[in-house]
Order: sequence, then C-alpha cells, then structure tokens
Amino acid sequence: MEKNDETNVGRWVDGRLAKLAPGSEWQPNVAQGLARFKERSASGKQGGRGWTMWVAAAMIAGGVCLLAFLASRERAVRFWKSSYLQKVNVAQVSAAVKTVKHGQPAPDFILKDAAGAGVRLSAFKGKVVLLNFWATWCHGCEMEIPWFVEFENQYKSKGLVVLGVSMDDDGWKVVKPYIEEKKVNYPVVLGNKTVAKLYAVGNMPMTLLIDRDGTIADSYIGVVDRSLCQSEIIQLLGD
Amino acid sequence: MNAQSEIADSVKAGEAPFDFEATFRSQYGRIARVIARVVQDPARAEELAVEVFLKLWRNPKAHGERAEGWLYRVAVRKGLDELRRRTRRSRYERLFGSVGRVPTPEEVHTATEERQRVSLVLAAIEPRQSELLLLRSHGLSYEELASALALNPVSVGTLLSRAQQAFRKEYVKRYGKE
Repeated sequence: MEKNDETNVGRWVDGRLAKLAPGSEWQPNVAQGLARFKERSASGKQGGRGWTMWVAAAMIAGGVCLLAFLASRERAVRFWKSSYLQKVNVAQVSAAVKTVKHGQPAPDFILKDAAGAGVRLSAFKGKVVLLNFWATWCHGCEMEIPWFVEFENQYKSKGLVVLGVSMDDDGWKVVKPYIEEKKVNYPVVLGNKTVAKLYAVGNMPMTLLIDRDGTIADSYIGVVDRSLCQSEIIQLLGD
Repeated sequence: MNAQSEIADSVKAGEAPFDFEATFRSQYGRIARVIARVVQDPARAEELAVEVFLKLWRNPKAHGERAEGWLYRVAVRKGLDELRRRTRRSRYERLFGSVGRVPTPEEVHTATEERQRVSLVLAAIEPRQSELLLLRSHGLSYEELASALALNPVSVGTLLSRAQQAFRKEYVKRYGKE
C-alpha cells in the first residue's frame, strides 16, 4: 500500500516536472556557443593585462562622460533659470528625480543584525556613514560589495562606518551565507518596508553618504562611481 | 588559428589531457537543455551553459571521465541559482512596487501558470532535492545521478523518493490538492 502511494507520488511529480521540458523546436546552437566560449576564454587568458586595459578604458570613458555631464548640467541649469518652466513646482520635479534630499538629516531607524541585536543609525553620529541598500539577487550590489569592504578596511580608523541594509525578502537564510561568501567586513542589517519608504528605496543598489552630523551629504542610485564615492568619503572624513 | 587549435591551447593552459572541444560539442546541447528546464528561457540557458563550460575549462580537476557528471551537477545548480535569484527579485519588486522588467510577448506566452508553479516549488525546496528531481526528469539513470551528484548509488532511490515527497508537500501547501 505504502509502495503504491510512493509510486503515485513519483508519477504525479514526474508529470509536473515533465511540463518544464523545453520544446523540441528549440535546438541549442553549438557553433554559437563554442564561439562565445572561445571569446570568453580568450579574454580570460589575457589575465591581468586584459583586465587592466578594460579598467583603463572604463576610466577614460567615465571621465569623458563626467565632463560631458558637468558641461551639459551647467547649460541645463542656465536654461532652467531663464525658462518659464521654472514656474512649475520645482520641488515636485526634483522629488521625483532625487529620492532623498541632500542637506537633510538622515531619517533614523533601528534594524537588526545577524545576531538579532538592534543597530540604530543615529548611534553613528560623529562618524561618516556609507549607507548601502542592497540585495543578494542584485548584480550591481554584488559589484559594489568588494569596494565597500576596501573602504571599510582603509577608512574605518579615520571614522568611516559602512552599514549594509539588505532588502532580501528571504531574510538571514539567504543573506548570512552570502555575506560570509563575500567576506563582508562591515555591519549588515535586515531592512523592512518602513525603512524602504523612509528612504524611498526603489531600484537597487542605493547608497547614501551621511556626514558626521547625521546629514545626508550625497546619494547614488545604481552602482556608485567608485573613485567619486571614495573622494567624497575622504572629503567628509577630513571635515 | 583554427577552432581546434585554439581549444587545444586552452586545454594546454588548463593542463588537462582530454578533448575539450569534443566534450563541448557532445554535451553543450544537453547542458543547455537541462538549464532551460529550470530557467524557462532558451537564450539565457545558452548563456549559462557557456558559463558552465568556462567553469569546466578553468577547473582541470573536473576534466576526464567524470566531466559529464560534473557538467550536469554544475548546470543544474547554475539554473537553480538563477531561478532563486529571479524569485527573490520578483518578490521584492512586488513588495516595494518598483518597476520590473517588462516580460516579452514570448515570455507571456510560454510562462504558463503550471510551469511557474513547478519552478517556484523547485526554488523553495532543498537545493539537493531540486537537483535530483530535475536531473531525473531530464532522463538520467540512477547510476548517472549518483555520479553527477556524488551520491552513494544505493541511496539514490531513497533520496529521490524523499525529494518527490518534499516536492509534492510544498506544491500542495502552496496550491492545494489538484
């Protein structure tokens, strides 16, 4: 009887899983796969040199974009000031673009760390805080974590606190192994809906720099510009 | 330099005395299909399949007779990682109302409710059990399963049965008896 039940469950599960089988009309393209493989393995073979070249190219491209952005921003500000459009509610428009207001006190919160201890943001007053909202499924966040680990190593003694707020719905079950794997050396707490609303967290990663007085000095939506972020940290630490 | 010699060079770099290109050609389709079974997206499955082979190339210890089992194991894990990542992301987007990626008409068409349910259940149960069920449904024998997942061949039947029970339990918990 028990054996029959087992067989029935087995059949039932097989039936469900069979629905996942890809259609026979799709045939993986071996030639294309092999070409992709060769391309990727060749770039891997270049090792350090290839990596350095990519970084250099990215830095040059980043510099050009920054200059273009600053120039166009200046023009846009001039245009804006001379435009009748300025009569439109500027606060409303900028609220849609910037999620948090620079120069305002960082909203306080208490969130729990992996050990269950409450971590209060305002407890870090007197230090510069890099507040990073992230999640394990977020590719951009993954890219930033080693940079923040380095910032923590380099500037902790000078008064920097890196605080990671994970927005993972699955909680510590997924966050704990992830931060162990990534060797995260700074405190990480688990976020919630209230804090997400408080900081208008939408797309991630999202990072804020908070000065020693607890005021929001800058914010980044998306992956931070590493060197810009670092120079801002240095500036805030030096104040 | 032709494809054969490039791959041969790659193999030399990994110091592995086995025919990498022949393995790629014979296994790529199967590996991509195992992943597609999990991620339900052929294009993404092919990208991930290439990553699996890159991992093999960088890991000379996995070269040789047991490469096939190794490939299956890594492929199914890669697919499940992707599935869990997507599940977590979509939950976050639902919870916080952020704008997610707009599904393509093809996705809307192919992602039937039942497939989504099965995928969600696979993402929820123990990873080892999902791996076992997926590879079994891909047609691997008990012996092949034991080799791919580094299991004792004698215990495969028991583990498979437990995995089926776990799948059924999770499915019924989420969607009721049907």
